[in-house]
Formats: sequence, C-alpha cells, structure tokens
Amino acid sequence: MAVCIAVIAKENYPLYIRSIPTENELKFHYTVHTSLDVVDEKISAMGKALVDQRELYLGLLYPTEDYKVYGYVTNSKVKFVMVVDSSNTALRDNEIRSMFRKLHNSYTDIMCNPFYNPGDRIHSRAFDNTVNSMMMQVC
Amino acid sequence: MSRQAGRKQDNHKISRELFVLTYGALVAQLCKDYEKDEDVNICLDRMGYSIGIRLIDDFLARSAVKKCRSYSETTDMIAQVAFKMYLGVTASVSCSSAAGNEFSLILDKNPLVDFVEELPAERASLCYCNLLCGVIRGALEMVHLAAEVTFLQDKLKGDAVTEIGITFLRKAEDRKHKR
Repeated sequence: MAVCIAVIAKENYPLYIRSIPTENELKFHYTVHTSLDVVDEKISAMGKALVDQRELYLGLLYPTEDYKVYGYVTNSKVKFVMVVDSSNTALRDNEIRSMFRKLHNSYTDIMCNPFYNPGDRIHSRAFDNTVNSMMMQVC
Repeated sequence: MSRQAGRKQDNHKISRELFVLTYGALVAQLCKDYEKDEDVNICLDRMGYSIGIRLIDDFLARSAVKKCRSYSETTDMIAQVAFKMYLGVTASVSCSSAAGNEFSLILDKNPLVDFVEELPAERASLCYCNLLCGVIRGALEMVHLAAEVTFLQDKLKGDAVTEIGITFLRKAEDRKHKR
C-alpha cells in the first residue's frame, strides 16, 4: 500500500507530502528527501534520450527492508515520489505506473487553475481525493 | 458583409482549453491589479459590455433569427441559441416575476470554470464569470433593450447551480420604437 506520496518541485522543495498515520511522518519525509538523490542520478543518466511516456516513470528507486520507493518525473522536472509497503507484494509495476499517471493528471488540473501560482504548496481538494484514493485502495 | 456558410474561415475553431486558460489568466491578473472584489467585478462587467455590443451583430448575422416579440422570447433566444453558439452549452430559462420582465438563466455546466475548483479564500465575493453578464447587457442594449444582468447563484460560491438574472428595465407596453 502506498504509505507516502510526495510531489517535489523542480528546485527540490516539497509541494505536497502526505503519509498515512502517522507515527513516523518524519521518517517518510527523510526517505523522500534521500530518494531525490537517486532521482537526480537517473535523470542525468537518461541524458539526451528522447523523453516519452516510458521514461517519465523511473521505476524502483531503492528498496529497503520495510518499504520500496518509486519515482516519476515530468517534463517540467516536477518529481512524484511514492513510498510503498514492502509486505504488499501483489502490487504490479503496471499498477504503480497507472497510479503515477493519475497523479500526473491531477497535477495538471491543478496547474490549470488560474489562481494557482507554480511553486506554491498544493492545497486542492481534488488532489487530496486522488491521493486518498491511492492510499486507501491499495490497502 | 453578412457571414454566410460559404466563408471558409468560419470553420476554424480554437481549442477550448486555450480559451478557458486565457479567461482564467485574465481574471487572475485583474485580481492582482485590484484589491477589492467589487472593482474586479466592475472591470469584468465593463469588458463584457464592450464585447457584447460587438458580438450582437455577429450573432444576428450568423443565426438569422427573426425579431423577438416579447421578453421571454428574447431570453429564450439568448439561452438556447446564443449560449449554444458561443459557449457550447444551453441554459434553461425561468421567469421570476409577474410583470414578465425578470428572468433567470440556469446554467448546469459552465465551461469558463472548468479548471477553477473554488475561489481563493481572500476573494470570496468575486463573480468569476461577470464577463458573461456584461456581454448580455451590452448585446441587449444594442437592440434597444435596457436590462440589468447579475449573478444570482454561483457554483463557485457553493450554490447548487449557476444562475444569471436578467431584469428588463422597460415595461413591455412601452416598446413603441418599432417603425
């Protein structure tokens, strides 16, 4: 199950970060922060390759004993990081990809809101609902 | 120079997203320029008015409707033909006064607010689509019908539907300007 979902801006500060209860919120924040290094590594490794849908999804960033971290980067260098519980082995790669795609769609809807300034923290009910559905559904 | 079907330029449409985003950018910029919601509303209304006085000729040429005999016919025309032509949605009309000069248009779907979830907290009394009111007012004025057009209900402010109220300012019997 997705225990933590984060949206990181181009300048590597968080726009949105939410984790499921909640004892160790700081631990998740730390995990997401350290995963950013792996994301940057993957982005620079891609280099001049043509960016299409496949390469937006970065895949498993790193596994630990408790959880796995997946990453996804948009063309505008906004990163989505998802932390998933390791014990849930039923989660397929496809499902992770489709979750990221849904996140990306919700993010695009927020960007289209004329009152949202890019770079602000995200305070949108629709986005919250999307994230909630991912955190519960995969439970 | 009426626009008949023969002109090829008529079939060029622009993307709806571009239009909605442009309108949104316009409102956001006005919000930055003016502090008070009332000023933004007035500005939008004025802009809509200047669009309306020009749009009416385009509408009459394209739709070739015959002269409306009553206020309710006029309102029906706006709701069914004009809204459909320019916004792609139709509105339903209800008459809300015994004198027959107050009507309201009820919009189920408003394409202008596609991407706006809700108004920002500091702009609670902003009428986001006030441009539409100005357009209707301007267009009616060019066909010699003075009217007041305001928003009665607004989905962005939490109401169930979006409702635009049109109040015609002269009694039906006084329309003696027909030659």
